[in-house]
Amino acid sequence: MLDLPARISDSLLMLLHAQRVLAHLVVDDAQNLVQAGGHLDHYGLTGLQSGGLASDQIPFLEGLLPLVETPFLIRSMEMPSGRVADVHFFADDGTVWILLLDVTAEYEEARLVQQKAYDMTLLSQREARLIAQLEAANQELTLAHRELAASREALQVTHDRLQDELREAERYVRAILPPPLAEPLAVDWRFVPSTELGGDSFGYHWVDDEHFALYLIDVCGHGVGSALLSVAVADTLRSEALQRTDFRSPAAVLTALNQAYQMERHGELFSTVWYGVYHRATGELRYASAGHPPALLVSGPCEAAGEGRPLPANGPCIGISPAARYQEERCRLPSPARLYVFSDGTYEVGRPDGSMLEFSALAEALSRPVAGGASELDRLLECARDAHGPGVLEDDFTILKMTL
Amino acid sequence: MLQKKICLLGAFGVGKTSLVRRFVDTIFSDAYLTTVGVKIDKKLLTVGSEQMALILWDIAGEDDIAAVRVSYLRGAAGYLLVIDGTRPETLDTAVSIQGRVDAEIGSVPFVALLNKADLEEDWTISMERIAQLEAAGWQFRRTSAKTGAAVEETFQELAALLAR
Repeated sequence: MLDLPARISDSLLMLLHAQRVLAHLVVDDAQNLVQAGGHLDHYGLTGLQSGGLASDQIPFLEGLLPLVETPFLIRSMEMPSGRVADVHFFADDGTVWILLLDVTAEYEEARLVQQKAYDMTLLSQREARLIAQLEAANQELTLAHRELAASREALQVTHDRLQDELREAERYVRAILPPPLAEPLAVDWRFVPSTELGGDSFGYHWVDDEHFALYLIDVCGHGVGSALLSVAVADTLRSEALQRTDFRSPAAVLTALNQAYQMERHGELFSTVWYGVYHRATGELRYASAGHPPALLVSGPCEAAGEGRPLPANGPCIGISPAARYQEERCRLPSPARLYVFSDGTYEVGRPDGSMLEFSALAEALSRPVAGGASELDRLLECARDAHGPGVLEDDFTILKMTL
Repeated sequence: MLQKKICLLGAFGVGKTSLVRRFVDTIFSDAYLTTVGVKIDKKLLTVGSEQMALILWDIAGEDDIAAVRVSYLRGAAGYLLVIDGTRPETLDTAVSIQGRVDAEIGSVPFVALLNKADLEEDWTISMERIAQLEAAGWQFRRTSAKTGAAVEETFQELAALLAR
């Protein structure tokens, strides 16, 4: 302790008393309140009665007495008045003195600093948690991305394999198409499937020395299923694989073909077929149609403008009804002339504005004179592509030309 | 009348003061106001057929700089350890405090409160750790000072433990 003169010690005590608003309580060893004084009102400790149990009147004393250590200090205790006091406990000869010193100002200052510090800490903890969550989410995303990339790679491998197989199939389909003929009848064609494999196919062959068969098949839809059926039908006609059928008789051929290719046994696919037989000696064409667009006959030489004439024929599509019957049509072909057989994909071409190319445009393109070794088939294909705009045509483009 | 001192302990910002305000005054404020020092409240309860006065010591939370003054627990008949379910580090603080309290005043009844149950979807606390502590004898209650969920019941439960 400082060795201060009594006058200075007293002054210091007075100063402390004035600044700290002293109040005191005295509790005896039976824990009864025996004395209370100073500025008790300041702390809201009013109506205290000497003689009773101290903790009944002053709740914070509950359990604290007798003192385990002396002096003992409880810092910054909020009092009933709202003031904040440091509460000092001193044991003194069988009694405990409890001194209350006002520290409200320091408390407020400390609270503001602590509030700021805790707010900052809570914010930084929250930030750290959010960063951790983001990092976890990022890791998951990275993992998912890797898995996705692996799946994509596997898909690409599968896709490439399927593309290779499709190209292989396309090569096969093209390889079995008959080559153009020059003698004794000139036959030419253009075949542009809308996908790698289309639903169109065609063929022509001599049934005997006098009769030349020409046919075109258009199976609904595109892709592998349609192409397989189309090739099968073409092969059936090419190899004349319909029993008890005269392949010189178009109506008989379509009737037998219809019975052989009913859609419930062929993947729910149906098709349109045009089948015609040209008799070389008489120049007569016999033909029948199973829901197919009419053939077009253009008379006159290629170099001059000709007159296009559709050859009408009606009959139901192949595969829909086993009871279907077909009407055979006949006409004599003049010479010189060109006979065109085609699928609807040659003229039902959508323009970007939503309108369609029409049959008359096809007839017009095929009737115009051709000069300098050019082909009206190429002109028609160009016309379809011009009308369609960029990208592949939406339907198969197939046209056969027989020149007389 | 039976009078018991119980203390609320835990890391800062876990909701000790809010739990006392909910229990004593049935009010809640979203504004976070830090506690400095200690605040004493008194609440009368009925336990069985007896009246009991709970003297509640709301003690400033522990942080990295200032540890809880366990000497303030002298004479406490029990305590509540409060944990913020959204802050896993507050469970570590609770475990640390419990060890020190046990060393200072011996084994007295306590209940651990997983507070802020109204934000349960944001909880990041380890349920595996909770299960381990339960196996070690800890009793947990999920409380929300905001909604009042399980607050009154938990104080009543502790009071009943103290009355035995």
